[in-house]
Amino acid sequence: MFLINCPFCGERDQSEFSSGGEAHIVRPKQPTELSDDEWAEYLFMRKNIKGIQFERWNHVHGCRKWFNVVRDTSNDKILSVYKMGEKPPVNYK
Amino acid sequence: MLEILHPNISNNNKNNIEINLSEEKIKINVRGKNKEFFTKVGKILSIILPSESNTSSSNENYDVLWLSPDEWMIYFDENNITNIFDQLYKDISSLNFGSITDISSQLICINIKGENIFELLSSGSPFNFEKFKNNVGSSTQTIVNHIDVILHHKSKNNVNLFVRRSFSEHLYEWLVDSSNFV
Repeated sequence: MFLINCPFCGERDQSEFSSGGEAHIVRPKQPTELSDDEWAEYLFMRKNIKGIQFERWNHVHGCRKWFNVVRDTSNDKILSVYKMGEKPPVNYK
Repeated sequence: MLEILHPNISNNNKNNIEINLSEEKIKINVRGKNKEFFTKVGKILSIILPSESNTSSSNENYDVLWLSPDEWMIYFDENNITNIFDQLYKDISSLNFGSITDISSQLICINIKGENIFELLSSGSPFNFEKFKNNVGSSTQTIVNHIDVILHHKSKNNVNLFVRRSFSEHLYEWLVDSSNFV
């Protein structure tokens, strides 16, 4: 269990949230021009690193808003939280 | 078995926690972002929508709860009904300034009163009630006994809890049962 600081509601328990997977995956502009492998890469392949990861989360039992989180998956420490559309913090790249 | 169609079922336990279940409230969900939306709602309800998270605004007729940055819930007693939904719908929804939805049938209001109500709610919720219980007018959405709820700290030690109709019977029974152990 850990706490997540929702950018809209404030600090809440993790059980109020739902993880939306890896953040900042951009949809290809011309999907029809991609090979099957490239399309599968975009659609299915995700990083699963031990360390700092950029993720999308949804405050599903609260304000129901999506936002981004920088989380260290080795210790579940939330390093940064920022709204959708905002640029990720550079110091964690 | 609890008959939820019965309005104003109440329970007063040994710990002086009073739990009343009432359907006699009109609830309206309002969503919008633009200037016209805020102007129209303010004019019709004579109330400013709360912009700060986890807060509410009230006047003699209505209570407005902050749900998210662009979503609020208005609730009021059925007796005070003055075609407010029709007016909001006509001036906002039909002109695409925002969205107005009557959710009176969707949510049931459970009123909880007493000195230990926050201990009761804490026993089944991950929410930290420390700040909430010291601020009358606070509102929040969280989980109680694994069920989504909207909470409004109406007055000191008096909370209105809104829950989906299908979960209301189970949650009411859980609250009544748990109130004997706080």
